[in-house]
Amino acid sequence: MKLGIVKETWPGERRVAASPAVVAKWVKAGWIVQVERGAGVLASYPDSHYETAGATIVEPRAAWADSDIVVKLRAPILNPDGSCEADQMRDGATLVSYIQPAQSAELLAKLAAKKLTVLAMDQVPRISRAQKMDALSSMANISGYRAVIEAANRFGSFFTGQFTAAGKVPPAKVLIIGAGVAGLAALGAAKGLGAIVRAFDVRPAVEEQVKSLGGEFLTVSIKESGEGQGGYAKEMSKEFLDAEYALFRAQAREVDIVITTALIPGRPAPKLWFADMVELMKPGSVIVDMAAEQGGNCELTKPGEVIEHKGVTIVGYTDLASRMAHVASDLYGTNLLHFLDEMGGAAGHKVDHANDAVRPALVLEQGETRWPPPPAPAKPEAAKPAAPPPPAAVVSKPPEHRPAVKSSHGPAPRPPSRAVGIVMSLIGLVAAIGFLYVRFGRAEASAGVETAQLLQHLTVFVMAVFVGFQVVWNVAPALHTPLMSVTNAISGIIVVGGLLGALTPGGLPNGVLVAVIATFFATINIAGGFLVTRRMLAMFRK
Amino acid sequence: MSFPVSQALIITAYIVAAVLFIMSLRGLSSQETARRGNLYGIVGMAIAIGATLATNTELVSHAGYPLKFHPLVFAAIGGGAVIGAVMASRVGMTQMPELVALLHSFVGLAAVLVGYSLDLRELPSLTHRIEIFIDVWIGAITTTGSVLAFLKLRGSVSGKPLLLPARHFLNLAMLITSLVCAVVYANDGNQTALHVGTAVACVLGVHLVAAIGGADMPVVVSMLNSYSGWTASAAGFMLGNDLLIITGALVGSSGAILSYIMCRAMNRSIWNVIFGGFGAAPPKSAGGPAKPAGEVQEIDAVTLADALRVSKSVVIVPGYGMAVARAQHAVREMTDILRKQGVEVRFAIHPVAGRLPGHMNVLLAEANVPYDIVLEMDEINGDLPTTDIVIVIGANDIVNPAAEDDPTSPIAGMPVLQVWKSKLVIVNKRSRAAGYAGIDNPLFYKPVTKMLFGDSKDAIEKVVTALKA
Repeated sequence: MKLGIVKETWPGERRVAASPAVVAKWVKAGWIVQVERGAGVLASYPDSHYETAGATIVEPRAAWADSDIVVKLRAPILNPDGSCEADQMRDGATLVSYIQPAQSAELLAKLAAKKLTVLAMDQVPRISRAQKMDALSSMANISGYRAVIEAANRFGSFFTGQFTAAGKVPPAKVLIIGAGVAGLAALGAAKGLGAIVRAFDVRPAVEEQVKSLGGEFLTVSIKESGEGQGGYAKEMSKEFLDAEYALFRAQAREVDIVITTALIPGRPAPKLWFADMVELMKPGSVIVDMAAEQGGNCELTKPGEVIEHKGVTIVGYTDLASRMAHVASDLYGTNLLHFLDEMGGAAGHKVDHANDAVRPALVLEQGETRWPPPPAPAKPEAAKPAAPPPPAAVVSKPPEHRPAVKSSHGPAPRPPSRAVGIVMSLIGLVAAIGFLYVRFGRAEASAGVETAQLLQHLTVFVMAVFVGFQVVWNVAPALHTPLMSVTNAISGIIVVGGLLGALTPGGLPNGVLVAVIATFFATINIAGGFLVTRRMLAMFRK
Repeated sequence: MSFPVSQALIITAYIVAAVLFIMSLRGLSSQETARRGNLYGIVGMAIAIGATLATNTELVSHAGYPLKFHPLVFAAIGGGAVIGAVMASRVGMTQMPELVALLHSFVGLAAVLVGYSLDLRELPSLTHRIEIFIDVWIGAITTTGSVLAFLKLRGSVSGKPLLLPARHFLNLAMLITSLVCAVVYANDGNQTALHVGTAVACVLGVHLVAAIGGADMPVVVSMLNSYSGWTASAAGFMLGNDLLIITGALVGSSGAILSYIMCRAMNRSIWNVIFGGFGAAPPKSAGGPAKPAGEVQEIDAVTLADALRVSKSVVIVPGYGMAVARAQHAVREMTDILRKQGVEVRFAIHPVAGRLPGHMNVLLAEANVPYDIVLEMDEINGDLPTTDIVIVIGANDIVNPAAEDDPTSPIAGMPVLQVWKSKLVIVNKRSRAAGYAGIDNPLFYKPVTKMLFGDSKDAIEKVVTALKA
């Protein structure tokens, strides 16, 4: 099978569909790979590297026309004169790239006329199994990082707080709106630079992910979950939005950097950072609008441009991932690699309608429309990814997050009440023994005195048990062994019993001999216990 | 009987000693104060012994003869101290559980002997006879139980639980026999009854410990610790000595708490551990519940070293296997190298890892691992999903997901370290055998898991070599 990697012709696009490292893997797996001359140059992958990886460098026409499968990144460009890049393709060949089928009816008609099979990388489902092919997440991860770098580039101060000889610099405060893949990547990057990061999201479920990256989670207190389909948020009620805007206005006065990532599938990006909020911000602040391509979350954003409004810089770049073309090409290529593997690899390449990771991406099959896909049978897995897959480098399997750690330990133990329970039962036991003693004790003449003594001892005993529980209950688990050896040594106090038994008016009666032996063993215990505890404790260091 | 000044002095000294013991236990509850705690204990003990030796020489016997300590007792103290010191300084940290068990048996033995001594020296009253019997009985159980625990921990005796067919009945029979002996001895001071009672208690001690499986050893050791305390307390009643009562009660309750903590860590009741154990339903567990058949993926030391180098956070879960292979120094070396390279390395300690409560902490401390990177299960479980690599060294049941997923598993409900939530789990094991609890571990077949087979020490040393390369 021949795989063609063509040059991206979209103005300003620097990425390419695959890096030489990915090409090498394809070649090893049996694909014949041809790369259009200069395809990777803008991503710093010269042709020679592709050649070393085992690909042939070909002219543009051959790359399009002479391949069984053409892989690229952006959807083929539809020229104003009605012609299309993909017209060069062989009839019945396969195209794998971004397509955005919902917005590209005209393009699809062109492709269908060529009887092409078209697979849309932007339609790969967001299920756990398909994460390794999820190009949207890979690109969002890169964009999120780049958004922070762009902001830092235009921000006139440090991200991290510093105390210098010349004075104190407070840390930058970053607000991230939308904690999806891009938002979480931005959060991680900003945190890594030392900023104080807050993230807002309408979906309460992402709170844990935000916190796991060291961010502060902001939300409004109205009970309404913004959980929509496929890991995106849905549109919210007016009441909710009012509360949200109030929160934003309060934050606008405080934060230095705002990064917005809010998207609703199939619609223009929701406007949520209005002109008055921009004006509330300190001069020198930076807004990076990652939703610029869909119109922007900020009212003043100009897609593709950087503007300044009353001292606040608003970055509206729509090509953040392309600005990191080198790594973006490599990750996209790896997504493609996994995708083609999923379709059977070089030897067994086919379109399998039963494959729930491939079927949703299938747009055209031999020119026949296959999109939108039939609703998937209600599989548990399909319903699972409620949370968006965060960047792979940060959290690997978000759907399997448990709400809280403690809840998975079964019923949380309540030490005090159990401790009391133990103490109470001990007291009960002691009282029972005491009762028995008193009953038996009456049989002898001296019983009265002995019973009084006994009760006195019992009092001491019960008090000591109590003290013991109180003192030991909070012992650090790391010290359990030393505690045991020290109590072991202390219980060698039985030596006193041995000593008292060894008092003799003279001679060595059996009773005294036995007591001497008892003393011997108890002393081993004392010396051994204390010394070994000392040895152990000496080892603990901070 | 007049009240000699010496008696007032000794009571004062005993109070001081008791307070010092309490402060000693208190001190042991945190790392910063632990060393001072041990010192308090030593001082308390010195005061108690010193006061006993100094003042009681002024006592007289019932018959009016002046009483003196038999000179042999000083030899006993000297000899005991030397032997104890030698044992304590020679023992390796991996043999700690054995030493502790052995020392418990000495306390029990001393208590038995003190009881016999009292019985031999004077004609005890009824109350005294009851007290003697209780003291001797608990002491005997502690002694033989501890000796068996010692042998099991040393490996001289198999760790498998011995489950006699009618063991509950047997226990009950022994208990009743003991009661009969107690009544007979209490009524007329019949020494044969005391001896029979002691013998029965000895057998009972063996039987109780024999029925408990190897994985439950931490509970057994802490229970015996508790028993040794109650023994001392019983001796206190017998001798009318408050210091013994107080100290024994302190030790007894401390051991009881430890056993309770251990049981909670395994989500089992203490009764289940003592009487049921894993043998509660032997046919079921023997038949094997869900057997997760599957392929394990192996990893070699060099690949692991490469993965470690690029990771950000690593959590190491040590288990008994690390102790057996004495791999703690190799593990520390690996930790040092990774920490120098900026990798966050932490240790996750399950409460019942090893054969003694806190066993792993002691081993890691011996290897100079700083204790602030050694965390408890509850502290680290929440961080595991964001951890790049978890390395499980010689641990099995404490990382078994069956405890959460498989209600039929014998360890169902036991809180475990949720290592499978991390991005990569490396399991170091000698072989593919099941854990101490004798059950298969589905962790090994999870897609995130890679097996690093081999003796812990060899395997980790290879990783260290690869990291240095």
